[in-house]
Amino acid sequence: MSSSKKLPWQKRDSGLTARIIVSFAVLTMLYLVFLSVLVYVGVDFIAIAVIASLMILAQWYFSDKIVLWSTGAKLVTREQFPELHDLVERIVARNNLPKPRIAVVNSRIPNAFATGKSPKSAIVAVTSGLMDELETEELEGVIAHELAHIKNRDVLVLTLASLFSTVAWYLMNFSFYGGGYRGRSREGAGGVALIMIVAIVTWIVSFLIIRAISRYREFVADRDGAMMTGKPTKLANALLKISGTMKRIPSKDLREVEGMNAFFIIPALSGGTFSSIFSTHPPVEQRIKKLMEMEAAMS
Amino acid sequence: MPKSDSDILFSISSAHVTLETKLLLKVGGRCAVTFKTVSGTLFHEMEQDLRRFLASLHPEFDLSFRAVTDRYGYLWIVLEGSRIEDLLAGLTAAGDIVEERGFSDQLLAAVFEFRCDLDASLQYLVYNFKRNNFYPFVPATGKSRDTEKEMKIMSAISEEVPFERDMSLWYPLWDLPLRSPG
Repeated sequence: MSSSKKLPWQKRDSGLTARIIVSFAVLTMLYLVFLSVLVYVGVDFIAIAVIASLMILAQWYFSDKIVLWSTGAKLVTREQFPELHDLVERIVARNNLPKPRIAVVNSRIPNAFATGKSPKSAIVAVTSGLMDELETEELEGVIAHELAHIKNRDVLVLTLASLFSTVAWYLMNFSFYGGGYRGRSREGAGGVALIMIVAIVTWIVSFLIIRAISRYREFVADRDGAMMTGKPTKLANALLKISGTMKRIPSKDLREVEGMNAFFIIPALSGGTFSSIFSTHPPVEQRIKKLMEMEAAMS
Repeated sequence: MPKSDSDILFSISSAHVTLETKLLLKVGGRCAVTFKTVSGTLFHEMEQDLRRFLASLHPEFDLSFRAVTDRYGYLWIVLEGSRIEDLLAGLTAAGDIVEERGFSDQLLAAVFEFRCDLDASLQYLVYNFKRNNFYPFVPATGKSRDTEKEMKIMSAISEEVPFERDMSLWYPLWDLPLRSPG
């Protein structure tokens, strides 16, 4: 019963991120196919390395546009959303930050994200659902969290971290293809299998490391964002609403549900370590707890 | 060996210090234990003994009690007193009597009242006998709850006492008969 309650919340969290990941994954696949063709027609290794680096640079350069396109976020002017612009300006003015560009996603699911290569060219995007569901101070909390991501250059940190895994992946692939053509008869299947194993291990390890870094940066952005507004509980409240946790707190009386013994006999699944190793965000409960501790320390 | 309900309930005696220093929550001077009544002589005898026992505490302990039956058919033993030690002693003794007479399945919850110095709001710590842990309950106007305050209680004491991590089990107890007679 508790798992069926959890589902809509899991869906909520994945939407925007999933679309961004799929877009970049498809692009990476295209690059791989393209580079494989180059290898196949016999272009030499140095030329391929140059072309691959250019592709990575291009992806870095156009990352904003890819993110906007894949999420359906539209940049909005002050005339279109005066209150949202005012709100962002209040926070950046108070904290001496450059004002980012602002985008809105027309979606009822409450969510927000930040993107951009540098603080000056950054974009903060919010969904229309986020603006509908949150009070002004809560929205401030969320936007300050995103501004903290920009200030801390988290996009750059995560891109560099994933670059390591991408480059490792490319190298493994091309030594596999290259080796395959020149030395299929010399080295045999053993060497190829070893390369495949190393590639897979490299990729899995970097995947987990990237997620660990990402979870840590979320905590940091929570802390820094809460410092910007001075109201940690408002961000905590927003997180409760966005994650659907607020809806999980029941309003039905204990005396009415007491007869349903199943509730109390089956221990609730705590989510487990599996999902927490693979997720990019720490559990909402942990984030809220840290924010509440901040509030207690501030008052 | 698992801790008994009384042992866990007694952990309030240290948790209340944390709640007072972190959240300015003072002991409200009231607590209650509630269990579902059943018909039958054994239960009736237990109830009579329980009342006699609680009445006998009076001169020695700073404690008064009353019994209220709510519209769900639950009997509430409400204790009032100024000292937390006496309140907890009465509360755990009442729970123990119900358990010793073989009615532990009937025990639903114990509720401990706190009062906030800042806004005079009443906030509760609920002990669920089936789950052997605590969760917060802060009623707001009507049938709504102040989740922000509940979160603060959680972050203050969830490491200190056995705490319910699954928020979907934080069932409210509306119209608590702690201050009004049912």
